Amino acid sequence: MSAEAKVADAEVRTVPVVARVVPVIARWVGALSVALVLFSVLLLLKGANPITAYTGIWETTFLRSRPLQEIFVQMTPLVLGALAVAVPARAGLTNVGGEGQIIMGGVGACGASLFLGDTASGGVILGAMIVCAMLAGALWAGLAAAMRLVAGVNEAISTLLLNFVALDLLLFLIYQPWRESPTGQPATKELVDVAKLPVISGTQVNMGLVLAIGLAVVVFVVLTRTKWGFKISVAGGNAEAARRSGLNVPVLILSALLIGGALAGLAGMIQFAGVEYKLRASFGYQLGYTSFLACWLARHQPFPILVAAFVFAALSVSSDSLQLDAGVPAASIHVLTALILIAVLGFTAQRKKATA
Amino acid sequence: MSLFVDVLSGGVSGGTSIMYAGVGETVSERAGVINLGTEGSMLVGALGSYAVGVETGNPWVGVLAGAAAGGALALLHGYLVVRRGASQFASGLSLLFLALGLTSLFGATYVGQPVVGFDTWEIPLLSDLPVLGPVLFQHDPLLYLGYVLVPTVWFVLFKTRIGLLVRTAGERADSLTVHGYSVDAMRIGAVTAGGVLAGMGGAHLATAYANAWFENMVAGRGFIAVALVIFATWSPWRVLGGAYLFGCAIALGPALQARAFEINQFLLDAVPFVLTLAVLTVLGKRTLSASPAELKRVFENAPPSG
Repeated sequence: MSAEAKVADAEVRTVPVVARVVPVIARWVGALSVALVLFSVLLLLKGANPITAYTGIWETTFLRSRPLQEIFVQMTPLVLGALAVAVPARAGLTNVGGEGQIIMGGVGACGASLFLGDTASGGVILGAMIVCAMLAGALWAGLAAAMRLVAGVNEAISTLLLNFVALDLLLFLIYQPWRESPTGQPATKELVDVAKLPVISGTQVNMGLVLAIGLAVVVFVVLTRTKWGFKISVAGGNAEAARRSGLNVPVLILSALLIGGALAGLAGMIQFAGVEYKLRASFGYQLGYTSFLACWLARHQPFPILVAAFVFAALSVSSDSLQLDAGVPAASIHVLTALILIAVLGFTAQRKKATA
Repeated sequence: MSLFVDVLSGGVSGGTSIMYAGVGETVSERAGVINLGTEGSMLVGALGSYAVGVETGNPWVGVLAGAAAGGALALLHGYLVVRRGASQFASGLSLLFLALGLTSLFGATYVGQPVVGFDTWEIPLLSDLPVLGPVLFQHDPLLYLGYVLVPTVWFVLFKTRIGLLVRTAGERADSLTVHGYSVDAMRIGAVTAGGVLAGMGGAHLATAYANAWFENMVAGRGFIAVALVIFATWSPWRVLGGAYLFGCAIALGPALQARAFEINQFLLDAVPFVLTLAVLTVLGKRTLSASPAELKRVFENAPPSG
């Protein structure tokens, strides 16, 4: 660590934890309240009673065991998807490709399970699925990294476009080569029981949650306490300075994106082997974009990502209650999600000079 | 009709909504702002035009409403990124979610409702031409309006003072400030204009192309438009050609299936994205040099890492 970095690090540490945490909490509470009020107005316009809607959401989402567990199930891929944005962001890269990398992770996992069939033991299939999913996710992000390094193509654009290629690839596979039966909704064969992710005992929450929280800790340590983490943040801060001080910037860019892709691929594997068990047209729908926004809300920090992922998962689970208790379509919950994001994005950050 | 005519005609009518949105996004990006919320502007434009069309019975009033809705959403994006310094990607995606939610909330009552959409206007004489007639001149009036859109936007962007100011906001914002103009106003104006056009694209989709409203009906066309602008390297004319080209790629599948060819639609659906990626890779650094300078800064400015 350089002398300046040590000084900067020390400065951060001298600020008491409380002084750092309180504004963050205040920001969230403020944003949530503004969003809730605006959403109430819209519900009123639609003739629904916001009080009924909110108490319904509270009672059926947070006070019952099953929906609460469902929140933890749904936050798992969001945590990994958001970490997949956070690692490249540290190197100054914008990974908008979580959506495609998660789909590719699901495709990799499903491909591995189809290849091994019913004969292999559960452990072997699980292991193969994890490896293939992470490789597939890394490959998809690697395409964007290669395009950037070889042809100077911006990774925000290429990762975004690759999302749609991945989706079309998924649809191609489930409509023809991997389709289980020619009738009914196109889908792949269900994953064999022995290869499904085990659950935390006494719950319906799969082990992916433990893995995701563990990886959030690992990412935190790697980004803040290792040489590699320091190097990519230097490359992300000022590529020219990094080059002059002898860092291999292309390798750093490539590695940050590959790791991001692998994390998103793992999210796809967990969604496949822990939640959906088969690939359908809607596999992983919007997980990548939601993760991207969760990462933004968390300012690209691993531990706040856990909170943001929980909030988004809770919103998603509460959409059922919105439909049942308030009688408005489930997808309306996106309004509340978006309002929270807009409140946080627009009205809590210091005003910066245009762009960014 | 021959397969050839079928595909071309389908490409022109299916490509029109993408072309409107693509031309709008070109204006926005020329001023230095990328708007991933284009998909959202198209969605609110589609529902706005459809709902107002149903209520008033007049599709033209519907288009105005769709344009206004699309513009309003883009205005919010402009405000957030220009005045509040929000991330362009995060803001655009947030507004996409907002549009998905709003159109779901307010669109449910319009699912399955009949609308007085746009009729086909066969242009006298021209519509009788072989090939060109059915491909270009047997469509709805909103599509014909698209024919004059590109020359108009090109003229405004490249031959008028206001166009110069917009482009300067995207190329050398500082020199605009030096001359006493507001960069922020130019950018917000350009983004809003882009949203208006995306809203009209959505209106074409709902009230002329599909004649129906259903949830999430834009189905990625807004993102095709974003890809298209890069494919066309920020030229309105190439946006026009690219929109019809992408439209043809999408129309090819159904046309072949109607003739009992076994074809997997999804490989064709990927064509716009794969072509854009290919163009980016082949042109490489040359695409970057064609992009508005301030847009490059958007990409190079890393998100906060600490």
